[in-house]
Amino acid sequence: MSIWDKIGRLDRRWIYLLVAIAVVLPLIVPASFRVYVGPEAQQLFDAVEALPDSSVVLLTFDYYPSTLAETEPMSVAALHHLFRKNCKVLTLTTVPLGGPSIAERVTRKMAKKYNKMYGTDYVNLGFKANYVAVLKGLGSSVESIYPTDNSGTPLAELPMMADIQNYGDVDFIFVVSDNGIVENWISIVNAQYGTPIGAGVAAVMAPKFYAFIASGQMTGLLGGMKGAAEYEILVGEEDMALKGMAMQSLVHLLIIGLVILGNVGFFLGRKKEEGI
Amino acid sequence: MRSVLPIIVAFLSGFIMIASFFFNADRSFLGKLEEDLLTWVTIVGGFTLLLGVVSITRVNFNAVKQKKEDWFYKLLTLIAIYVMAVPAILPSSWSPLFGDEAGSIYDWLFTYVDTPMMGTMFAMLAFYIASAAYRAFRARNPEATLLLMTATLVMLWRIPMGEAFLREISIHLPDYINTFIMKGATMAVQRGIIIGAALGGASMSLRILLGIERTYMGKG
Repeated sequence: MSIWDKIGRLDRRWIYLLVAIAVVLPLIVPASFRVYVGPEAQQLFDAVEALPDSSVVLLTFDYYPSTLAETEPMSVAALHHLFRKNCKVLTLTTVPLGGPSIAERVTRKMAKKYNKMYGTDYVNLGFKANYVAVLKGLGSSVESIYPTDNSGTPLAELPMMADIQNYGDVDFIFVVSDNGIVENWISIVNAQYGTPIGAGVAAVMAPKFYAFIASGQMTGLLGGMKGAAEYEILVGEEDMALKGMAMQSLVHLLIIGLVILGNVGFFLGRKKEEGI
Repeated sequence: MRSVLPIIVAFLSGFIMIASFFFNADRSFLGKLEEDLLTWVTIVGGFTLLLGVVSITRVNFNAVKQKKEDWFYKLLTLIAIYVMAVPAILPSSWSPLFGDEAGSIYDWLFTYVDTPMMGTMFAMLAFYIASAAYRAFRARNPEATLLLMTATLVMLWRIPMGEAFLREISIHLPDYINTFIMKGATMAVQRGIIIGAALGGASMSLRILLGIERTYMGKG
């Protein structure tokens, strides 16, 4: 059996081992790479940067715990930016499994860092079932959909909510999501109420949203961990996404290497079969 | 009557939602009706979650009781649901372990069991993708070769090391990938899918409103 035959029949467990090494190695030997900021991330940053001080921003936590590695750094970087600009941050989630807990944990941690008060500087609305009705209903009245916040406090008792009745009082919506809800934010909220929307999404979904950027229905996009890393650079807070780029780089390079190797083996094997 | 009533409810609900779009929510009767209807929908949505729990309990409980195949895993499902849900529903005023605040049973299980498990499941994709790419991604014909080259370029472009390498070849290469692949070919295809799905959604909604589509009632 030639070397190419052996490569062609490589046991998948060797591939799994290589992937594991590519993921673990940057944890043992930390390496940093220069990340170039793309135009979509820059557009999102500029849109938030252009908001006046004390603007109301709705930040969504529309993601499951499975994609935390990609999406949580986006939320953290967004909160750095929003709290630094003294924006009033309203958070909610359309994901029942973990969404409210993640929103609570991340916002409270970031608020502590920036000395922000709950109820005055930020409010977590939590989760309500049936996202289409929630997104549509918030356009009429926030209080009719969310009579209380995530902890059960009536909205009337939260000073920040006195001036927020519906989308008309929200200056920008920053959606962080790992599912198709972004399309609903665009088609229901942006299209019907005109509120500008920027989004951070899981890498696998990002290509879909280039169409909405081109049509002007979306103001900026962060795609996957790379997008999160770009936003971290823009806000000057190098964190988890930038650290994760080393692992992502090695795994991508490994996959490219495996594809090349597989194809070389394929062509040499075919030539041998044809007797060339 | 069992078919007619749901059709009337669906038609009226849909009609109110469409018509109210053209009226001011604060000043018109229809606007107020829309607001009430949406509140009702979220309440009904809450009950559907409850219905889901009841349904999964019934199905799994029966399977465990009758010791059907894989009954042990069904038992674990039931335990997982109730161990997560019951302490979270109980008021935190009874004990700091109840409710969903930091330090509660729910929070602990969510942070240290649920999150790592879901993360692990998702992360395993990397292993399968690497193995599948090695075995299946072959330049067998011109179309497959084009796909392979495009995928390789995009994968390189999405990592700092790869982008630096592409910039060494040409400083404009990353911008070309963004312009011609992402904002060109990919966007054109995605637009087709989005428009197709939207048209399908609109026609399906119209069929439901007019009572032509009845599969949601369990009828063909």
